[in-house]
Order: sequence, then structure tokens, then C-alpha cells
Amino acid sequence: MQAPAIQLSGSYHIDGTCLFAPIDMTLPAGEWTCVLGRSGVGKSTILRLIAGVRCEGDFQGEITASDGLPLVGRVSVMAQSDLLLPWLSVLENTVLGARLRGEVPDLQRAGNLLEWVGLARHAGKKPDSLSGGMRQRTALARTLMEDRPVVLLDEPFSALDAGTRADMQDLAAGLLKDKTVLLVTHDPAEAVRLGHQIIVLTADAAQPWTPPSLPPIRDQYAPETVECQAQLLAHLRRAQ
Amino acid sequence: MSTLTTETPTAAQLDPRVLRERRERRLQYILPIAAIAIALGLWEFLVWYNEVPHYLIPAPSLIAKTLVTDWSSLMQSAMFTIKLTLMALALAIVGGVALGMLFALSRPIEMSLFPFAVILQVTPVVAIAPLILIYVSNTFVALLICAWIVAFFPILSNTAIGLRSADHNLRDMFRLYQATPWQRLRYLLIPSALPYFMAALKIAGGLALIGAVVAEFVAGTAGQNTGLASRILESSFRNEIPRMFAALFLVSVLGVGIFLITAWLSRAVLGHWHESEIKRER
Repeated sequence: MQAPAIQLSGSYHIDGTCLFAPIDMTLPAGEWTCVLGRSGVGKSTILRLIAGVRCEGDFQGEITASDGLPLVGRVSVMAQSDLLLPWLSVLENTVLGARLRGEVPDLQRAGNLLEWVGLARHAGKKPDSLSGGMRQRTALARTLMEDRPVVLLDEPFSALDAGTRADMQDLAAGLLKDKTVLLVTHDPAEAVRLGHQIIVLTADAAQPWTPPSLPPIRDQYAPETVECQAQLLAHLRRAQ
Repeated sequence: MSTLTTETPTAAQLDPRVLRERRERRLQYILPIAAIAIALGLWEFLVWYNEVPHYLIPAPSLIAKTLVTDWSSLMQSAMFTIKLTLMALALAIVGGVALGMLFALSRPIEMSLFPFAVILQVTPVVAIAPLILIYVSNTFVALLICAWIVAFFPILSNTAIGLRSADHNLRDMFRLYQATPWQRLRYLLIPSALPYFMAALKIAGGLALIGAVVAEFVAGTAGQNTGLASRILESSFRNEIPRMFAALFLVSVLGVGIFLITAWLSRAVLGHWHESEIKRER
């Protein structure tokens, strides 16, 4: 399935209070868009709107895919909490989507995915017996198992230690290649490392931020990357 | 010529963690048994030493003797109480879970019916029992209703809360996966409610027995029954104190049995995933 570009334009109000004014943003097809901004500015709301899940406020605008098809059934989400069902094993969690659709799960593919994320030996374990990084890798395997063209990531690596986070970024960037990805993050380093496009969300606008000229996934020690991170951080601090 | 073989302990057997676990497992049984044995010994000694008459406080040995001599009649009564308790518990589970699901699915139904459940819960069963015994001609059914009333509420309340306790992010995920309402119930809501239900079952098991015994007490003065509570009453009227204690002992054993079974069930259902039952190294 070809990944479409996604266009979002509109404003969002909660109980009459404006969360964000009319904004326009495009998630380019098959690329990573990283959205940053202060807490409560509406980053996760944008993600929820694209995912089509329940939001408490009122969105006035439209979300369209470049191929003109509805997004329902073409989106998968990975959140900050791993959202694993504690009563199911790693393998059962990985094939949950297929199970809910009444399909016979492709266990061979699930096994391969678990091997890619380094969890083949833990397929039978319950999430409780795994570390935070392993749980997030299971969530990543489940997201990949869905094989949706649009993938929405809501701070998926924020609770991980620095080393595991870098490993997970590498893994996700490699495995989600050619998907249209929206990554909501608070970490400028993560955005600069992974994003084809970087957007800084404020209450008034979705401002594009020029990423380094190197293609993702970028070397975090490259001078251009370090410089961009520093400038982005300074910009975010000023914006607050 | 005989060959002498010696068994060398394996590394796992010598592992301090394994040894500590084994010791703790042994102590788990030994300590309560020893404490009860000491308490019984002390009781026996004090009764003997102070020459307490058996019609005031019988010695444990006399209670045990009474248990043996009156075994068949006491067991008949025990079977009646067991049947009453288990049937009340089963009906409480069926009714509580069904109504709890209805409450979780529909707020208006909950708002309409919850007051009745609360009224049933807060009104003492001893106050309702005489009325039930008047209106229901079958004594066993009347007792069953009394015991059911007591055991029903925790199951209802916890099931309704449990079904609503599923993480809202997981609900969203199920929505994203386009799960049907039945799948949401089967794969998300019911497993999320299980810890609440198992906690309620532990409480309701004990309450069903209390309800059965209390109802028997109330009915014992007016109706016909052969439960353990009636044995206690009957022995009290005849001043057969050792028999009273023997029947009381059986009620306690029954209560402990119900608790152990529900606790085992909870471990079996939740032990492999829920925080409340997972064994962790301290």
C-alpha cells in the first residue's frame, strides 16, 4: 500500500477556548515529520485527530490524504505508554490487530518482526516480565505488524534511557521506511536526528524548522546536526 | 563389595535465593500450623489447670471428641450449609456479573437500579429475613434469598467498576483497530475487570457463608432446617456447649475453605499477569 501525504488544516477549541488557531500542515508521503512544541499546545491532539480517535474538543477544518481515500483503517499508532495488554504474551500482543479483525494471524511474519526487534526469545513472556525498552520494542513490533501506510508516534521513546532510546530510534527509522510518519516529541535531538520535516507547533501556527541537509537518520555528532539541535532548543525556549 | 555413592548438591540447590525461597515456602505452612497448635495447647492447659467446667468452656480435646461422636449429624448439617452457601454464591456471581455488565453498558440503567442494590446492601439481612420467611413458603429458598442478598452487592459493584476501569488509551487503541463492541468486551473490558471481580469473589465467598448462617439463625426459631447454625442454636437450648463449639468449628473450617479456594482461584486467574498476584523477589 503506497503511503499518502496528509494535509491538515483547521483550528481546535475546547469548551470555547482556542487550543490552536487555524493551522496548515502537510505530512509528506513516505517521510518522517517531527512535531515539537510546549506541553498542552495540541501536538497529541493533532495526532489523535489524524488517527480518528475520540477528542474532547471541537475541530473545525479538514484532514485529507493525497490519494483522496479515507484514513480509517490505514493508520497505526504507537504511544508513550506501550499499551500492551498485560494478560497477553508478547506474540499475542503483536498479532492483536489481526485477531480483532477476525483474521488468522500471520505468526511467521510476527516471529520475523519479533526477531528484528530482538525479542524472538521472549515471544511467550508476559509484558510484566519485560524491561521498558523491551516493552516498547514489542509495541513497535505490533505497529509494524499492522503494516499501515501512516504511522503516528506519540513520544514513543521518551520514557527510555538514552542508549535504548537511540537504539529504538535507529530501529524505528529503519523499519518504518517509506511510511508517512508523524512523530510527536519533546526532544529536539530526536526530531533533528529523525525528521525529514520538523514543525514547531505554537498556539498560532505550525512553523516549519529547517532540518540539516543530511538525510535521516542523521549522525547525532555531525556538526550540522549538533548546530541544528542547539538552535532548535534555543528557539523552543524562546517560544516558551 | 558395595559401592558407596554420595550425592553432590547442584548449583541450583545451593543458590541462596533458591534456599531462601524454599525456607519461606516451608515457613508459610509451618508457622500458622504451629501458632494454631500452640493456641490450642494453651487453651487445653488453661481449661485443665483452672478446672473450667465443660458447660462453660470445653477443652479442645472434648470438642474433637464431640466432633467424632456426632460426626454424621454434624456433617449432614454442614452439607446443608455448604449447599446453601455455594448456591447463594453462584447466584450472586450470575446476578452480579449480569447486572454489573448492564450497569457498565448503560448509565441510565445503573442510575435507575443502583439505589435498589444499595438498599438491599445496607438493610441488615436479619431485618429482612423474617419478612422473606413469611412471604416465601419454601424455607430453603427463603434462606437462599437471604444469603444471596448479602453476597450479591460486592460482585455487582466491583464488576461494574472493573468493566469501566479499562485504560482509556487501550479503549482508543481498540477503536483504532475497529474492534466490535463484543471484541472490546471479550478482549479488553472483561480481562480488565477480572482483578476487581476476583477481589469481590473473595469477599462474597465469606459473605455468602455469613448470610447463610445468619438466615439459618433467623429461620431456626420459626422454620425447619438442618444447617450448622441451627445445630448451634439447638445445642445452645440444650446446653450442649461442646457440640456448639464443634458446629462452630465446622462453620470456621467452611469459611477458611471458601477463602482458600477463592484465593487459589484468584492466583490461578491473575497470577501470570496482574500485579496483585505476581510473586516478586523482595
